[in-house]
Amino acid sequence: MSSLSVRTRLLAGCSVAALILGAGLAGAGLSGTASAADDPGASSTRSVFTVGMTQDIDSANPFTGIVAVAYEMFQMEYPTLTEYSASDFSIVPGLAESWSEAADKKSWTYKIRAGLTWSDGQPLTAADAAYSFNRVINGQYERTNYGSYVGNITKAVATDATTLVLSVEKPSPIMEKLLVYIIPEHIWKSIDEKAIKSYKNEGTLASPTVGAGPYVMIERRVGQFIRMQANPNFWRGKPAVDEIVFKIYKNQDALGQALKKGEIDFADSLESNVFKSLQNIPGITTVSSTYSGFNELSFNTGAALDDGTPIGDGNPLLKDKALRQALGWAIDRDALVAKVLGGSGSPASTIVPTMYAALHLDPANPVTYDPTKAKSLLDAAGYAVGSDGIRADAKGNRLSFRLLARSDSSGGASTKAAAFIKGYFAAVGVEVTTKVISSDALTEIIGQGNFDIFEWGWVVEPDPNYQLSTFTCANRSYVDGGSTYANLSDSFYCNPAYDALFEQQGVETDVAKRTAMIKQMQQMLYDDAPYILTYYYDNPEAYRSDRFTGFVPQPAPKGSLLFQYGTWSYENLKPVSEVTATPESPGSTNTASAAPDPGTQPESTPSSSWGLIAGIVILALVIIVVVVVLAQRRNRDLDVDDDRE
Amino acid sequence: MSTSEIHDNPARLSPRGIVRMRRRAALHKFTRSFRHSPSGMVGLCLLGVFVVVAVAAPLVFPRSALDVTQAIANPFQPPSWDYPLGTDDSGRSVLALVVWGARISLLVGLAATVLSMVIGTTVGISSGHFRGWTGGALDRVTDWFLVIPYLPLAIVLATVLGRSMLNIIIVIGVTSWPGTARLIRAQTLSVEGRPYLERAKALGAGHYHQMTRHVLPNVTPLVLANTTLAVSISILSETTLSFLGLGDPDNVSWGSILEQGFQAGAISQGAWWYLGAPGVCVVLVVLAFNLIGRAVEGILDPRAAGR
Repeated sequence: MSSLSVRTRLLAGCSVAALILGAGLAGAGLSGTASAADDPGASSTRSVFTVGMTQDIDSANPFTGIVAVAYEMFQMEYPTLTEYSASDFSIVPGLAESWSEAADKKSWTYKIRAGLTWSDGQPLTAADAAYSFNRVINGQYERTNYGSYVGNITKAVATDATTLVLSVEKPSPIMEKLLVYIIPEHIWKSIDEKAIKSYKNEGTLASPTVGAGPYVMIERRVGQFIRMQANPNFWRGKPAVDEIVFKIYKNQDALGQALKKGEIDFADSLESNVFKSLQNIPGITTVSSTYSGFNELSFNTGAALDDGTPIGDGNPLLKDKALRQALGWAIDRDALVAKVLGGSGSPASTIVPTMYAALHLDPANPVTYDPTKAKSLLDAAGYAVGSDGIRADAKGNRLSFRLLARSDSSGGASTKAAAFIKGYFAAVGVEVTTKVISSDALTEIIGQGNFDIFEWGWVVEPDPNYQLSTFTCANRSYVDGGSTYANLSDSFYCNPAYDALFEQQGVETDVAKRTAMIKQMQQMLYDDAPYILTYYYDNPEAYRSDRFTGFVPQPAPKGSLLFQYGTWSYENLKPVSEVTATPESPGSTNTASAAPDPGTQPESTPSSSWGLIAGIVILALVIIVVVVVLAQRRNRDLDVDDDRE
Repeated sequence: MSTSEIHDNPARLSPRGIVRMRRRAALHKFTRSFRHSPSGMVGLCLLGVFVVVAVAAPLVFPRSALDVTQAIANPFQPPSWDYPLGTDDSGRSVLALVVWGARISLLVGLAATVLSMVIGTTVGISSGHFRGWTGGALDRVTDWFLVIPYLPLAIVLATVLGRSMLNIIIVIGVTSWPGTARLIRAQTLSVEGRPYLERAKALGAGHYHQMTRHVLPNVTPLVLANTTLAVSISILSETTLSFLGLGDPDNVSWGSILEQGFQAGAISQGAWWYLGAPGVCVVLVVLAFNLIGRAVEGILDPRAAGR
């Protein structure tokens, strides 16, 4: 019975997709069905788990993509030497089953599991791992995402099929947690450093991407969906769910409705109001899981290349630390959490979130909401209020800044936060003009240094090395072949003292000493204020507990169910067997898309008020259309005498 | 010089004076007919209400009512005495948003229409007047604009130009003129065929004189009627573009209220007042302009009135 239901759902997915995408996809949909049927053993039990999300990946190429959802695809496809455990982020074996530091502290040796194969059947050996590391070590473009792991590694050598040796300059604390994806050499060696910048790495059903993680990509439609297929050669065993589909929804209401209707099985990053509307619905479980993300206002503290050449058109006033510090006092972080996040989060202070309790610094001099203090600090820094109510420095340069917000943030949170920031800054005499652009465009603009302030966020890894590296001088933008490329630094903060500490913590193997340094760096950033952190956000998630079970939260017990460090949930996910005592019309593909709804969805009845509103909206639309049609007919009638259109 | 004097001394009038007198009389006749059109008057009253509200917005609600940081009410509060149209997702009064939104929506709608009319009339008259190569070229340009799908072009333009009120006006203006141009061209062709233009040409009138003195006055009624109808299209376009997130983020318009509500999960929350209020306002204003437009059209073109 369950097999029937999941199969129908796949067919439903295909026919819906075909409807939306037209004839082009219809072919793909059909072939998908065919292959499902061809696959022996899975002929009638092909299960599909559909995740709904509001953000698309920016690229499927692990050297290009930087948004959090893109990393989800990368880690599903490509293994790492070690992994973070689900329960508490401790280090567990990954591709390497054991590892050790040489006695002279000049190298690390990793024992790669024997007898592994890539998803295409080619053998996976230590040579692939060595190739992956060398590619990052020797590449400029490849370093953008993974450079922080290999800064200390001079070379990677595979001494035999199961032994990888990484030579290091100095002792390093991060050698057990190198999140560098191991990619298949036989595929990537044909993609040179120039080609890799535009390489898409989007698989097709006929030729899926080649990986060694639990899933490989078989299809991507930009802005629509990504399909991942279980990798039978995954070393921990083929996952129980055959296919995972990531569907992109344009807005939060659609996402919530899709979960209610059963179009998707999991909804990620829900807007707080939609999240609340999903609570107490039978068959749906909601979880406001703790998450390692923070949002910030980032200032252009003097955009420059890694060699110090100034770039961009940022407002030079923002180079003044006193100004940035004063602005920190103007923001009511509690109100932002309450109104923008709907309470699903907490006010933020430093760049290591409270979730990583051991490393997070609670500043001794907390900056809170105190507009009076902000004003007096601005006065003291020499920014007097002008006749128009806007402050200006002694030379008459007004404190008027451009604030960039993102148009594609979940639930419009970025634009909403920007409206709050505008209000808070206006209250202390600082003018802000908001501009809303897409994340992609924002990345580009940041890299060129053409901004004053922007609102964005980071998801912080359990080891803060990567996050700390985003403030080093060396990670400012760079020039390659005449064009400027963005690196990790988006505030262009450059402080030799900070860089020195960054180097030191990078070689400190004593945990307590390293923690102290990391806390000192957090304090430094907190005081210099290249960022003003606004909040740490939860990840409000909801899923169909009547269909799937086996989620593994990270960290236990209240952490994220998906979008973790690792693929624990995907590997342990199972369809609920008795899900569907629902009557479904067997056989007919055409009615399949409609069939699951009436049966599985008795809970749609309480939302009668939704129907009412939909009715009103539709009525309003009909009226508008009628009026417009009438108006246009009038126009046409007028000129029909002389001229035919 | 009062009207009665003109009537008393017709002989002493300059040609210009005669024209002025004739126009004044026509206007009189027009107002009288308009007053007798019930639907036109309903539209005018409706529009009047919105204009008054838009102009008086700062008196009713201070600008701070739009500031999210100063909102104290609970989010998504249903309509009550304190908040007649409820509150939005930040706790601001939806009534205040709608009242302030009227300013931008009306301003953008009118300004964009004026722009579109100026372009459309200029191109229309020129392409109708200059028959040869110039007219043909202008006509092809009009055709070209006419066949480009309007919304994608507007979205692309708005994205390239950036999100600001002026840009939205420009985008709507430069994308909505071709219909007007075709209409005006047709009318120009018919006017140009009349004998008095031939006479004017024989007397040595230049192109500019012919176009401004003879053609323009004859197409003006058509332009006016078309303008009133075009305003509603412009307001709808503004709402559409703002709803798609291409409006000015620093100003509230009806479209941007709809966008915000949609983004913030107003539908899931059942906050009908949040989406309903701006939606109804758009419908009413568009209706008002259409009623006025049809009444004007009926007076200026009696043949159309019966339909």
